[in-house]
Amino acid sequence: MAAYITRRLALVVLVLVAVSMLVFGVTTLLPANVAYLILGAFATPEQVRALELKLGLTDPVWQQYLRWAGGFVTGDLGVSTLMNRPVGPMLLEALQRSLMLTGLSFVLIAVIGVGLGIVAALRHGRPLDHGVSVATYLGIAVPEFFWAIVVIIVFAAWLGWLPASGYEPLSAGVWEWAKHLIAPTMTLVFGHLAHVSRLTRSSMIEVMQSPYITAARAKGLPERVIVLRHALRNALLPTITVLALDFGRLMGGIVVIETVFAYPGLGRLVVFSIQNRDLPTLQAAILVVAAIYALANLLADLLYARLNPKIRFGRHVA
Amino acid sequence: MLIIDDLTVRYRTAGGEIEALSSVSLQARRGSTLALVGESGSGKSTIALAAMGLLPAEASVPSGRILFDGADILTMGAEARRQLRGSRIGLVFQDPFSVLNPSLRIGDQVGEGLVHHRGFTPEAAFERAIALLDEVGIVNPEAVAKAYPHELSGGMRQRALIAGALASEPELLILDEPTTALDVTIEAQILDLLEDLRARRGLTMLFISHNLGVVRRIADEVAVLYAGQIVEQGATEDVLQRPAHPYSKGLLAAIPRIGRKTARLAAIPGRLPDLRQPPTGCRFAPRCPFATSAETLRETPWPVQADADVVKSPSPATQAATAEPVVAVEHLTKSFVLGRGTLRFEGWRPVRDATRIRPVDDISLTIAPGEVVGLVGESGSGKTTLGRTILRLVEADSGVIRIGGETVSGKPQSALKVMRRTAQIVFQNPDSSLNPRKTIRELLGRPIARFSLAPAGEIPRRVDELLDLVRLPVHYADRYPHQMSGGEKQRVGIARALATQPRFIVCDEPVSALDVSVQAAIVNLLADLKDRLGVAYLFISHDISVVAHLADRVAVMHHGKIVEVGQADAIMSAPSHPYTIRLLSAVPRVDGPPHVQPKAGRAAAVPA
Repeated sequence: MAAYITRRLALVVLVLVAVSMLVFGVTTLLPANVAYLILGAFATPEQVRALELKLGLTDPVWQQYLRWAGGFVTGDLGVSTLMNRPVGPMLLEALQRSLMLTGLSFVLIAVIGVGLGIVAALRHGRPLDHGVSVATYLGIAVPEFFWAIVVIIVFAAWLGWLPASGYEPLSAGVWEWAKHLIAPTMTLVFGHLAHVSRLTRSSMIEVMQSPYITAARAKGLPERVIVLRHALRNALLPTITVLALDFGRLMGGIVVIETVFAYPGLGRLVVFSIQNRDLPTLQAAILVVAAIYALANLLADLLYARLNPKIRFGRHVA
Repeated sequence: MLIIDDLTVRYRTAGGEIEALSSVSLQARRGSTLALVGESGSGKSTIALAAMGLLPAEASVPSGRILFDGADILTMGAEARRQLRGSRIGLVFQDPFSVLNPSLRIGDQVGEGLVHHRGFTPEAAFERAIALLDEVGIVNPEAVAKAYPHELSGGMRQRALIAGALASEPELLILDEPTTALDVTIEAQILDLLEDLRARRGLTMLFISHNLGVVRRIADEVAVLYAGQIVEQGATEDVLQRPAHPYSKGLLAAIPRIGRKTARLAAIPGRLPDLRQPPTGCRFAPRCPFATSAETLRETPWPVQADADVVKSPSPATQAATAEPVVAVEHLTKSFVLGRGTLRFEGWRPVRDATRIRPVDDISLTIAPGEVVGLVGESGSGKTTLGRTILRLVEADSGVIRIGGETVSGKPQSALKVMRRTAQIVFQNPDSSLNPRKTIRELLGRPIARFSLAPAGEIPRRVDELLDLVRLPVHYADRYPHQMSGGEKQRVGIARALATQPRFIVCDEPVSALDVSVQAAIVNLLADLKDRLGVAYLFISHDISVVAHLADRVAVMHHGKIVEVGQADAIMSAPSHPYTIRLLSAVPRVDGPPHVQPKAGRAAAVPA
């Protein structure tokens, strides 16, 4: 198992190196001169030239890459060209807020999605099953920003229960903090339920028809035990893989959701740095998203191995 | 103990309602074993499920009662039924490979009935499970209890299932084909175990099987089921030695018997009636050779249909002396790496001690033209790997393979065109070896076109000839595999192998998945084809009686080696290798003296 984890971690590092090259490559190919961006439109060519030399922009691309990547390894993420602040702390703050949002959404998606999947599977072909299908499909079929606007109209404009946008830190009070999280979380969860619930439903239906479930029935076990102990364990395996992919999709989803709800997280930072050609911030932010994605998948694979004894290693009895 | 009275079960399906059981009445007395026999589709498993109160939602029960200890299982509440299941009635399923939950430990699965029926704590149940595993003869029960199903062999899984069914000391044990998926030697062990348990615990058993030899060993009484009806019922020896109903007669006649080699096996023609509209009167009548005559059945033997145009080719023995063998392998070896082992260092060099198995271990074998060599052995002995390695479907590690005079080992796959034509294979499972999206015409026409054996315009005629050869009606050419029965599909599998006019065919358990009556027909067909076309077979089977019937020579395989090879009759009557003797003595037979358990003190208890 330890060897397996080490091997998988090495792969994650490899993926990150590849992503960093891509990110760096694409952003340096952009028709934007960092020196111009910093100095503004009225800079003289001499000033630009001097800054380029100072920033090392005239060096070969691979030297620039190594310097940039080296900075990443040592924790120096560069300085935002727009805000004139180090990218590191800025990014960390945004990341924390975004992880709050995605983490909460993810837990809800997993719990509600699996729950709906089980219920639909046990009642499959009946009205409840169809109801769940229609609702979750609606969630995934219509783009997220639409639901975001619906949520704002209903809960902020009509009912006035929730603020339409923004963020308050925990220090401003738990309720204040939570109030700003509810609307974006709701939108994210609704848009992502379908994957998890549909997959859980279909694998649950399949598992419930397998001979070992009939065998469990023949043992006279209560239905609750059959569903939760015998069926769910096996039915969840494919769901886990999809949950990891969904975490990646969530990280993409926050770009839209944070923009609509004016939530100051990673997604908004990405949009903001693209709009303002803040290359150091953009590069760092994208790399962070990639790292989260890779780690989420690693975690899913480890969990999968934990739940599925067939891919655990080095045990033979007979 | 268990009384089934006038039970009728119907299933709703897309194609209409099927009557799976029609007015079935059965009775299993306390402490006795009642066997149910019949071919697939006869309704055997439906009886097991009904007795457990586990009929699926599509099933309806228009009439009948199932009384267990006086209480009707069909009318009692769901909760009362659940209390009965796994507590007073135990069920052992057919396939030990799919009825154990892959993600729960064996010990938990064996013991969990105790948690829910007897109020054990999970830990106490686990302890009890270890004791039960010990009781069913598992060595090292602690380790097995902690293992997951995929870590165990089939025989161990079946024992674990029996242990699970016995956990809460049921009074009635229902066994649905408990040994069908197992090797004969394991089967013999399981049957001994059941005998022993019955004697010790006074169990009542309902034993469902299609294997009459097994039934004879274990049952006091037999009920023969055909198309949802019981056609004959009585004491085991009576029914098996003096069958009264034509169907029982046919079933018995279809079984090849060791030491009694006949030219042909008796097959039962036709197939089960359509149960959507069960025929009135005798359901077996359309397939019954006695249907119109008024012969006294007990004395009249089941007729063996001689298929007309069988031309005997010169006997293989004389041919073998003159001709070069069609297949010759020398020192063939194939090994697989099971685990790569842990990494360690020898000085600077990293070394792994890989775990290898060698399913084909230094095997040399020749097959003469038109000769049938039977290959027997238990699963895992390497039979299938050997067959595939000879055809280079699996690449050998070393050794020489010559087919039709051509040395095929060492050639690249692309240069094997001639060999692919000369040598063909028939697979065990026609369901998975025939492409479900192709018609029979496409399936059979493809190899003909591939090897340019006929001009394009001629192909349909060749396909018709092939169908004729395997005795399928010509109009079957436009059917898809799913529109045919198991036996018919296997005929197509044989026709496909014959399409290239091969000289040698590897038959890899071609009849193992089929019912006895159908099996007999396919074995006859293979024998006829050999006589008519002079094809040689490597006939792989775990069923020694089938091999003994068909083969000229028999090779016995054990752990990747051929331990004994010789003339079929000689090996069957006087085996010399201990493994062959063990294999032969494990085969349950329908004739000869009744089986007596070798254990002292048990012999007297075996009823006549």
